[in-house]
Amino acid sequence: MPVDINTVMNSFIYAGILSLLSLGITLAYMTTGVFNFAHPRLAIIGSYAAATVVAASMAYLGMKPNLETFETAIGVVRQPLPLSVYALGLLASVAAATAAALVEYYAILRPLQRRGADFLKLMIATLAYDFILVAGLFLYSTLPYLDSKASEANIGISSTSMTMTSYDVWIWSGDVVIRGMFIMGVSATIAVSVILFLLLFKTKLGIKMRASVENPDLARVLGINVDRVYAIAWAISGATAGVAGFIILFGTHVLKPISATSPADEIVVSAFAGSIVGGINSVFGSIGGGFLIGLVEKLFTNILVGVTGYGNLLKFGKVFSMAAVVIVLLFMPEGLASVRWKRALGRLLRLRFISRGVRSG
Amino acid sequence: MSDIVRIEGLNAGYGKFQTLFDVSVTIPRGGITSIVGPNGAGKSTLLKTIFGLTKVYSGRVFFEGREITRLPPHERAKLGMAYIPQLENVFRNLTVWENLRLAGYDLPPSVFSERIEEIYSLFPRIKERLGQKAATLSGGERQMLAMSIGLMRKPKILLFDEPTAGLSPKLAREVLDSIKALNRQGYTIILVEQNVRAALEIGDKGILVVNGRIAFEGKAGDLLARKDLAKMYLGLGE
Repeated sequence: MPVDINTVMNSFIYAGILSLLSLGITLAYMTTGVFNFAHPRLAIIGSYAAATVVAASMAYLGMKPNLETFETAIGVVRQPLPLSVYALGLLASVAAATAAALVEYYAILRPLQRRGADFLKLMIATLAYDFILVAGLFLYSTLPYLDSKASEANIGISSTSMTMTSYDVWIWSGDVVIRGMFIMGVSATIAVSVILFLLLFKTKLGIKMRASVENPDLARVLGINVDRVYAIAWAISGATAGVAGFIILFGTHVLKPISATSPADEIVVSAFAGSIVGGINSVFGSIGGGFLIGLVEKLFTNILVGVTGYGNLLKFGKVFSMAAVVIVLLFMPEGLASVRWKRALGRLLRLRFISRGVRSG
Repeated sequence: MSDIVRIEGLNAGYGKFQTLFDVSVTIPRGGITSIVGPNGAGKSTLLKTIFGLTKVYSGRVFFEGREITRLPPHERAKLGMAYIPQLENVFRNLTVWENLRLAGYDLPPSVFSERIEEIYSLFPRIKERLGQKAATLSGGERQMLAMSIGLMRKPKILLFDEPTAGLSPKLAREVLDSIKALNRQGYTIILVEQNVRAALEIGDKGILVVNGRIAFEGKAGDLLARKDLAKMYLGLGE
């Protein structure tokens, strides 16, 4: 095999993050027609909130991360932080990202829309909001709070540079280490898809949402408060970014609030690519699109390096994911969601059947 | 007969583009009022103004004696008005059932099922299409669904904006017949139509709008009998 299991897991973690972010971008675009360039930064806001809450609660509990392994029913496990602290971190990340998304919608985008701002102006406004968030993160990193709590709890991070991959849960299955964020990345994507499906197709709120997206004027005529429905969509968009932020913190590399290698800047292009490849008006398409882009960018690139032995290719992962965007859109201009998968599958099966018939005849 | 809607000295339009000039009309309760006129004369604008979908520069609109000039559309819906747009009057990506569910989203379950039964008895075909997406309905069926959506809250008045546009003569006849049937059940109706003769034949009152002004207001039969107006504005030359 040209790639090791750890690379595969890293690729899936990244794909899960992209999936969640593409979904949030699509939700915001579908409802309010805004391309939210600040979206990946919402996830980073979540990461910072999670890191702060984790460090503070460990300091409050007087605990230090426990890097010992222990035997359990499912195998050898290493769990550096108590489960409740992980849960608190996730909650903080979701809450912070949701709040940041709602502030963006209520304080910036809705007032602008009411004044008749068009698509372009709204897009620039989201970029401006992104810069405000970066400035906020930078300001936060100059406060001593996170650093003092982190050193108190002996957590190896600082406010300007942090990665908590070493505090991720590890489960040994034979010789293979399965990482907690791998399970989380994949299961969160599946869980969010299922929850969204149920919400959109099985609840009254879901019907209202789909109606408000399709024809807001008619929805208003029927007495539906369309603005509130949109705000709920933005809250969901922010919440999924929060889940992504949590996975970024524990599952990927160093976080810096402002630098060329800040993950939000690195992710933003890929997340939008996922959203567009999925078909910009399809929630479920975006989830698939995000996953596809993530896997091509990391897994495919790594396999290529394994096959060719040319390590420099690793720096060009985006070339391959963007090539995938072009190829998908060439064949499916409306994105993955536009394909009638049932019919396509049927055609494929028929094709096999026919070729078999030809052979036997 | 008391008036359900009264309009006084209305100047209205879209943005800075004024289409109605000093319009004063009344809509009688319990009847069918047909608004006719040449294309672009402002008959749809008049209907939309009654529902609050245009910009009113001056003048006043009353509903059951209460002034509603500045009331937003969703509030008017709650007062008992239903507006059935000409185009995009159903949610195409939702199923027929979801469309109905949405239209009655805030009704108590018992009232909701009561309404649903009423709609089934009015439009039996709707019942056969419940699981289908509205986009797959035929033109006539879609118009019936649009009417059902409007009827869901048992409104006092139904505002139809060219309900027969784009339908075959046979289907148009069917739609106008069901509008007449609704009126017999006690619904007050305002009808904007390009099919002038049919509209005035089923109408009690006729209003002719020309260049954003009221050119005639009176009995529908009288308007139909006015050869001069009919020939000049309605294309009803003998």
